Amino acid sequence: MLLAARELQIPLLAVMLLGGCAAKAWRVLRSRSIKAAMDPAGLFPLRLHRPIMMAMCATEFGLGLGLIATAGRIGTTHPSLPATIVRAACALFFLIAMGALNETRQRRPVAGCGCFGDFSDTPIGWRTIARAGVLCAAATVTIGLPPLHMPSSSTTAEMWLAVLAFELSLIAFLSPELGEILVRLGYSEPCELRRLPVERTIAALHASSPWRRYAGQISSAAPIDVWREGCWRFVVYAGFSRGRRIDIVFAVYLQARRPVIRAAVLDAHTDEVLGLAETREFTAMR
Amino acid sequence: MSPGVDAAWAATRALVYTVTGRILDVNPHVLVLGTAWGEQRFPLDPGTQAGRGGPAAPAALRRGDHAIARRRYPGGPVVDRIWAEVGRVTGTIAEREGPAALLVDEGPAKGRKLVIIGAEATGRIQVRFPRLEPGYLVDVIGVKHDGYLQALIPATSQPPYPADHPPTPPLVSGHVPDPVSGTAIWHEPGDEPDDLLGLAYPALDPETSCEHAAFAPPGCSGDPHATGPGCVRLPYLSVGSLLWLRNDCAERTRQLPVTSCGATARLFCDRCVTCDTSRKGRIADLTMAAFVELGGNLEAGCFNATMTIGG
Repeated sequence: MLLAARELQIPLLAVMLLGGCAAKAWRVLRSRSIKAAMDPAGLFPLRLHRPIMMAMCATEFGLGLGLIATAGRIGTTHPSLPATIVRAACALFFLIAMGALNETRQRRPVAGCGCFGDFSDTPIGWRTIARAGVLCAAATVTIGLPPLHMPSSSTTAEMWLAVLAFELSLIAFLSPELGEILVRLGYSEPCELRRLPVERTIAALHASSPWRRYAGQISSAAPIDVWREGCWRFVVYAGFSRGRRIDIVFAVYLQARRPVIRAAVLDAHTDEVLGLAETREFTAMR
Repeated sequence: MSPGVDAAWAATRALVYTVTGRILDVNPHVLVLGTAWGEQRFPLDPGTQAGRGGPAAPAALRRGDHAIARRRYPGGPVVDRIWAEVGRVTGTIAEREGPAALLVDEGPAKGRKLVIIGAEATGRIQVRFPRLEPGYLVDVIGVKHDGYLQALIPATSQPPYPADHPPTPPLVSGHVPDPVSGTAIWHEPGDEPDDLLGLAYPALDPETSCEHAAFAPPGCSGDPHATGPGCVRLPYLSVGSLLWLRNDCAERTRQLPVTSCGATARLFCDRCVTCDTSRKGRIADLTMAAFVELGGNLEAGCFNATMTIGG
């Protein structure tokens, strides 16, 4: 059973490391700035934040891949030297993380650890530090393990699952991120705060029946104005109708699928609304 | 625009309390300002308060100073408050040169400004801003000089976090509250007209407004667009949107247009205590004229505000 528990740590650690790296990368991509993911480097001077952050992400990625790559049979000696180096480096990484978390907690009590990007904004507590300790211990017990193999019997497989369930429960208990994830899973951002590219708004508009209705009157290839008021984005096109210049204003509700679209036609010079019957509510037909 | 729309916009632009201009002459009884409409004379009474970095007698103001004054009654001739050469710098400290000179980054749109902290103001400012180091926020009011601001008054208390780590606001379920309460501050006109009545809004549509167009210069330490939504969740609007703003301290309300990007306001999660303790976070960064028009005192730096979205 002990051997099964030790073997299990390798995939578990690899998943944790690659998951941490992916969560940080996702945060950077989402906010379009590496500064968003610099919580873990908060102890260092500002000019070192970026290189430390990049080094940390690269280390997590490298160790995660290294654990997987060295888990099987390499060479003739067991345990192989590369596997021992990767696992020892992994233990050292989590040991340093423990110390850094403890230091950050004392110096910047309101800062989150940033270990899993957006999900780790909760101030560092004893649970976050203990989690790093558990992962450090997990990495230590993998040193000297023989190559991994599939469970030889159903009893061994059940034992693996039991150990896995226990350890996942322990990590979940020590992870403040779990609460944040559960909240976000059931969270729908209000339309006033929703970020939706203009291109999607235009695409939805071009596929709608109001657009087809007014397309013959539109004279500008691109919108002459685009603005937003809370849940609505307004798109204005120039046009001609019955010899006079008009502005055709489309209001597109900011939702990803089947947005409500309204349209109004205004005189370009006086802003007088032309034809109230044309100011109706439509639903985009996609 | 239609006549109706024209009238609505004109109403948002009309200043009834505030006058701005250059001081042409001043004595204990009359202030003469060179305004956009020519020379204008304003009677002063013994209760008129003036300031140039600190309280001063009106007669102590200097000819040539840029001044902003508030009338006692809407459209009335008598002014009861005069501020001369008042300035403010709000942003992230980019560089510190010696104990008294700071280069402050006000965001990609406004650039960097030099702040000099005089010996007489050092103690007062450092009590409220203990970390005058690169990466931390600063917000000071003082006297404008050629090329720099002489800081005299701290406009708030320094947030404990670095500028690029403001707290994350709580998630909002349902719709964003309307009206929303918080702090309203003011900013220097910069490239805007002195008498512009409007506000810099902290949450312009990131797809079409300042975040989209903003260019952060290399080494910019305080690009507010990269730091998330700030500590107040505000609905996305655009330049030109109209909203109602109420000064809860003076109980005065005006409809104001959004005239510029106020993303730097998102970095501050402070409260205003001008008349009561406001909710946390800055919801509007008013032009000087709008701030004074709504009854705010420039040297206070803020007032407790309630904002209602919609024209």
